[in-house]
Amino acid sequence: MSSDRTKFYRDKQNAKLFGVCAGLADYTGIDVLWCRLGFVVLTLATGFGFPIYIALGLLAAKKPPHLYVDRDEQKYWQRVRQSPKRTAREIRARFRDIDRRLADVESFYVSGNPRLSAEIENLR
Amino acid sequence: MFPSEIIIVPAIFIGLPWIIMHYMTRWKTAATITNDDESLLEELYQLAKRLDERMDTVERLVASDNPDFKPARIQHDQDIDNLPLRELDRMLAERGERK
Repeated sequence: MSSDRTKFYRDKQNAKLFGVCAGLADYTGIDVLWCRLGFVVLTLATGFGFPIYIALGLLAAKKPPHLYVDRDEQKYWQRVRQSPKRTAREIRARFRDIDRRLADVESFYVSGNPRLSAEIENLR
Repeated sequence: MFPSEIIIVPAIFIGLPWIIMHYMTRWKTAATITNDDESLLEELYQLAKRLDERMDTVERLVASDNPDFKPARIQHDQDIDNLPLRELDRMLAERGERK
């Protein structure tokens, strides 16, 4: 149940027919138009496109309506599906950035100690 | 007639499924992450987002108390970056003219 973010869904909200192409676009991050065009070309060139579309349309589950909170989260999970390793590295970079900023604030207070000097100023 | 069938029939009924199976097993071993990995990534994402916001707040608070505190951020359009970049632009333009 918890792997509901890396599953393939058909996206009925942005659908033209079954929402397979919209789901594919949501899954990979490729624009919907290219997915639809790809399926049309696949159908015209080999004849496999439409049967695959129907099969996916019947087999894949519908996307739950509130899977992602915002656009950033959707993009984040698209990157996870493309490469989990890279996403883990990105998250580590974010934590390091926060650590650096926190260290800046800490060193500002430790080295300057502005509150203590202000108290001393008040006592004079 | 006869030799071409010898090649085509095994190609379709043995070769093609072989290739498909080969790539399917490869795809399954390489690309999947487990449910635990997924929930871990979810948690880390939310945590990083929350900490980022908190850090913003803390920096704002500190900066409002102490005007001499400047959070070290990467800023665009600074002279220290612009001067070498202009130099580079000029050199590239010169090189383009010479060619």
